Amino acid sequence: MSVTASPAQTAPRPSPQSVRTDIEVSCRLPLLGLFGSGVLWLLLGLLFALIATLKFHNPRFLSSEAYWTYGRMHAAHTTALLYGFGVQTALGVGLWLLCRLGRAPLAAPGVVLVGIALWNTAVTIGLIAILCGDSTGFESFEMPAYVSAMLFVSYLLIALCGVLTFHRRAEGNLYPSQWFVLGSFFWFPWIFSTTSMLLLCLPVRGVMQSSVAWWYAHNFSSIFLGFAGLASIFYFIPKLMNRPLHSYYLAAMAFWTLALFGSWGGIPGGAPLPSWIISLGVVGTVLTTVPLLAVAANLFHTVRHDLNALDNHLTLRFTYVALVFWLLAGVQQIVGVLPDVSALTDYTWFTVAHWELFHYGFFAFAMFGAIYYIVPRLLDWVNPPMWSPGLVKCHFWLTFVGILISYLALLVGGVGQGFLLANPKYSFAQVMMSTLMALRAGTPGDLFIIIGTIFFLLNFALLLLRWGFRYWVENSGGLRKERL
Amino acid sequence: MNNGPLLFLGLFVTMACSWLSFVMGPQLQMGDMRPTTNIVVGASGQIYPHPEPGTAHQGAEVYRANGCAACHTQQVRPRDLGSDIDRGWGVRRSTAYDYLYDQPVMLGSQRVGPDLANVGKRMDTISILLHLYEPRTITTNSIMPPFPFLFEKRKIQGVPSADALRLPAPFTPTPGYEIVPRPAALSLAAYVASLHQDGYLFEAPPPLRAPGGTNTPASAPAPAAAPTNSPAK
Repeated sequence: MSVTASPAQTAPRPSPQSVRTDIEVSCRLPLLGLFGSGVLWLLLGLLFALIATLKFHNPRFLSSEAYWTYGRMHAAHTTALLYGFGVQTALGVGLWLLCRLGRAPLAAPGVVLVGIALWNTAVTIGLIAILCGDSTGFESFEMPAYVSAMLFVSYLLIALCGVLTFHRRAEGNLYPSQWFVLGSFFWFPWIFSTTSMLLLCLPVRGVMQSSVAWWYAHNFSSIFLGFAGLASIFYFIPKLMNRPLHSYYLAAMAFWTLALFGSWGGIPGGAPLPSWIISLGVVGTVLTTVPLLAVAANLFHTVRHDLNALDNHLTLRFTYVALVFWLLAGVQQIVGVLPDVSALTDYTWFTVAHWELFHYGFFAFAMFGAIYYIVPRLLDWVNPPMWSPGLVKCHFWLTFVGILISYLALLVGGVGQGFLLANPKYSFAQVMMSTLMALRAGTPGDLFIIIGTIFFLLNFALLLLRWGFRYWVENSGGLRKERL
Repeated sequence: MNNGPLLFLGLFVTMACSWLSFVMGPQLQMGDMRPTTNIVVGASGQIYPHPEPGTAHQGAEVYRANGCAACHTQQVRPRDLGSDIDRGWGVRRSTAYDYLYDQPVMLGSQRVGPDLANVGKRMDTISILLHLYEPRTITTNSIMPPFPFLFEKRKIQGVPSADALRLPAPFTPTPGYEIVPRPAALSLAAYVASLHQDGYLFEAPPPLRAPGGTNTPASAPAPAAAPTNSPAK
């Protein structure tokens, strides 16, 4: 087991230029497809969430048609976010890290493209099915049985190309980001196939269904999305700080303990299941304190020498915020499973606040940081086109403030709801009316996130246009010279 | 950790731990659960739970299709975890037996609306239909969205329909028209009215003592949720 230094130190090697060009060319179309369609799904999901939120301002809003019912909007929102945005950007960043850290071009980019087209088709069909009332009824696993096979196959097409790229790597030493990427690539097909089998193909009996569905939702977020985000954090923070990662062994400990304990949990305290299952989940979640502390110590030791550098690079800014939100979400999750707390906070907006913080605060921020770095280098590694700095700034601050507003509103509303619900003196209607204020206060946050995402998409389109124009000028210039 | 296959092996083992304890283990314990006769209170030899009638099953499909579980849970927590029993949402905690015939099982994770595990004991079909058409007919200030698409507004031709909703003052339809539930509304109401968890089971016996250390026996929290000792209707 040899110690690998930071990715920044792995530069000088025979003809790194040609390897970079190979990676640039092989990754360009697949990754642009994954990131572009991923962020479009994010925007769509956010719009569904906005419709759902507006129903707390006026329950009659869009209530005349079945498509726009709160329950369907809620399911459509999580599906677009988790499967459209989450899986695709996680795969995109993962593929790029495998290429870059393994010094190998992406294997079979054509197959990846087919996979992306299939995946997007499947998510589209699944989303339409949900809007038409064909959801499965299991949270975070709402797409119906007839698309699950398509989702599974298209995922395998993309992820197996990643594994093949990893197999063909020229760099023998593994960097922690590679473990995290491989972990997330490996986790999804297992949980997805198990859950499809046990919930849709050969349904298990009774509450076993809920047990499987909770296990799936917890693993999907904590491990699959969590590993993908952490891979990006572990890569970009040392690389852009131009410093080696503080400790390779601490990273290894964080990885294995998170894989082991982070995958237990997600079951509410009073669920009608045998209590050993609930207790095991609580124990696992409390033990995620270990990876939480290990990641925090490792990365804060890496950045502590030069905190000002965080401002200089926009990728670094996004990534650092993602790291802080991951730690906060982890702490909230640990506090939230303690039996005395969960008796208050289960089934309240407290858990939704955690969901927002984890998916928007941690995951989306980590992915955007990576996308800001990767996309220009896909187009032209030597002379990467520039993002519009104003739009980036708008995107960062709007999303950041938006997440803070909607998170704090949900957190305060959730804790208040928990305390009032615990006291049977207050009728349920009274409890609901008192949390309504907090819910409504969170709506501007959702709007900010939407506007921020639109700014990102605008910037993305401008970048592509700028690059396309440059490409066209260079090529037509070349043609003219030949003619002369 | 530079060995790819070893890394995969490690991932496989950690993943397997999670899978064995949260999928395989529970399945071995609960996978072939059958309805029980082990009822603490009530006539011996009775079986719990009972399959619900067909309309209720159709209604569960409407419940699933519209994502009702996004706001309503169907699980009563034990008395030491939350106020569910004190609120009259049930007389005992929910157990795995209560869901044996559910497909899919929709326990829910959010209480934007009240728990529905025993709503069939609190509301009758007519008030459920009124509540679906316009929640504020039953609960003033309700934040539940109305579901008008489950109903049909039609012109009264001859004798008014017997199924038509009898709506209170501000919600009455324009004169000459009536609001009639569509089949989806009827089956959804049948499903909601069928929701009840009764029979004191071995693992969820009736509460013996009120919380707070007093020795007085617990009184029924709400008249609507009075304990029914016999599971059979």
